[in-house]
Amino acid sequence: MILEHVWGLFSHPKEEWESIRHSHCTVGRCYAVHVLLLAAIPAVAGYVGTTQVGWTIGAGDPVKLATDSAGPISALFYLCMLVGVYSIGMMIHWMGQTYGANPVRSQCVILAAYTATPLFLIGITGFFPILWLMLILGLPALAYTVFLLYTGLPIMMDIDPERGFLFSSAVLGVGLVALVALLAATALLWGMGLEPQFTR
Amino acid sequence: MSNQDTYNYKVIRQFAVMSLVWAVVGMSAGVLIAAQLAWPVLNFDTPWLTFGRMRPFHTNMVIFAFGGSALFATSYYVVQRTCHVRLISDKLAAFTFWGWQAVIVAAAVTLPMGITQSKEYAELEWPIDILLGIVWVCYAIVFFGTIMKRKIKHIYVSNWFYGAFIIVVGMLHIVNSAVIPVDLSKSYSAYAGVQDAMIQWWYGHNAVGFFLTAGFLGMMYYFIPKQAGRPVYSYRLSIVHFWAILFTYIWAGPHHLHYTALPDWTQSLGMVMSLILLVPSWGGMINGIMTLSGAWDKLRTDPVLRLLIVSISFYGMSTFEGPMMAIKTVNALSHYTDWTIGHVHSGALGWVALISMGALYYMFPRLFGRELYSLKLVEVHFWMATIGIVLYISSMWVSGIMQGLMWRATNTDGTLTYSFVESVQAMHPFYIVRWSGGMFFLLGTLVMCYNIWKTIKGTTPVEAPVLAPVGAH
Repeated sequence: MILEHVWGLFSHPKEEWESIRHSHCTVGRCYAVHVLLLAAIPAVAGYVGTTQVGWTIGAGDPVKLATDSAGPISALFYLCMLVGVYSIGMMIHWMGQTYGANPVRSQCVILAAYTATPLFLIGITGFFPILWLMLILGLPALAYTVFLLYTGLPIMMDIDPERGFLFSSAVLGVGLVALVALLAATALLWGMGLEPQFTR
Repeated sequence: MSNQDTYNYKVIRQFAVMSLVWAVVGMSAGVLIAAQLAWPVLNFDTPWLTFGRMRPFHTNMVIFAFGGSALFATSYYVVQRTCHVRLISDKLAAFTFWGWQAVIVAAAVTLPMGITQSKEYAELEWPIDILLGIVWVCYAIVFFGTIMKRKIKHIYVSNWFYGAFIIVVGMLHIVNSAVIPVDLSKSYSAYAGVQDAMIQWWYGHNAVGFFLTAGFLGMMYYFIPKQAGRPVYSYRLSIVHFWAILFTYIWAGPHHLHYTALPDWTQSLGMVMSLILLVPSWGGMINGIMTLSGAWDKLRTDPVLRLLIVSISFYGMSTFEGPMMAIKTVNALSHYTDWTIGHVHSGALGWVALISMGALYYMFPRLFGRELYSLKLVEVHFWMATIGIVLYISSMWVSGIMQGLMWRATNTDGTLTYSFVESVQAMHPFYIVRWSGGMFFLLGTLVMCYNIWKTIKGTTPVEAPVLAPVGAH
């Protein structure tokens, strides 16, 4: 019941999207459970990885984050993921009519939530913070996320593949902008007192 | 001799072919310098091959040689076809071609020799600057003269964007390049201190805003509706955001000088105008996306459309990222880091290169009278380019933010946590990923060159008749 679609999105994505569409999930049941749980993976992994494991530059001692610095940052990170997924869902809903879809808002939010699954899962690499490795592993996760978007959107929005392609491209554009907004917000928050405190 | 019943396609063919040649030259140089950052041994202790000299070689080749040639080619194409009239002077147009190539060759020779004014994107020494100025004035004469000769009353929006690009770039070049020469290969800026910095970045940012944005928006407004077979989504929006872009972009320069000796009020002005600039920039993005969205029935058979869609998405992302990075607090982290480089390349590769390539894929069949050799290869190119861009941007985001954090991290006793060389050490893997991204992009470009070469090889140049305008304007 909980996380029932996660495996299916990897083993047979098209069929899984059909199943998600027909299950008529509410935001409360599907979105909340799925996102609240899965988004915790990167947040918790990041907290543990930065405060307990740390990383080394060259031959020095491991550098870690102070726990009272990592705590608020992880919490805010978690919050941002929830807000981000929901916002993208709202944007999908807002853009629906342009592409000949007439989606219920919950379908849009759920589309966003399940699309983000690979990115949530790869957050597990936060337990062992080796940045270049996280990048190398993160990129295929990102690629699969985009694949899930292009596969799932025409199904969830019930439109033909060509319009679905353009709609997905617009959503991707929104996603890119959201990513940049996250970057800028991070830098801003850091500047306003939430700067990571290192222990060395 | 020139035939007033046909368009001058010859100069367009010349510029179009050279734009691809310079693309390969400039992008190869980019791959080289990316490799040098990851593996400094590749400087080979050879002065003319060192990063310090090859970096401006790279920027000049990709911006002015590749981008410039694409702008010349497309502007001459668009102005003739939308005005329904041949260029006013074949001789002057030919001079702009040969003159521009001479500027590029001069750059290619002098920059590796270390002859430089050391002004970013304005490195060329004063004799080349003068030639550039002359070529530019002739370009303006050809372009505006052709508009004056037009057969229909309305001046299509692309020509406004191209026209603004020509005028403003001319102004920027002449003002910023003012120097006191010492000898043929050495000069000193007419300006000094922080005034010199401000003039340089008034120039530098508007080189982005007018050379790399307004000019390419002109390209976008013609080639996207043409490839999609759909009218521009909102013509009114195109005019409104044209004037808004012109007004706001020109002020954005100070965001390159945050937390320097530039007066604080100037920095704030630049920051505010950069933020406002987001709105008119996105006017262009919305128009492009919405125009393309109407062509959903063409997608299955047209990989060029995919290139154009992605270029607009990256345009939207970059023109959002720019204002964000212009915020002082964000800039305090990002300035001098790789994040800036990542931002530059998301715009340069994602927007400028892809829209140019889309336009070239449209033009080449029509200039040479033969269908594109292979649509499959266009798809291959598309994927290689996209993978390259994603690798480039993601690695630079990570390395840039890392640099920003490491440089300003302090211990509780106030001492710096990291030495500078430790931050350099930390960059190594990301420089390798960035190099691989650039390599993908270059290889995609080579695929395009092969495709175009097979398309145009053995064709007879097209003489295109000037069409009568449809309807009354």
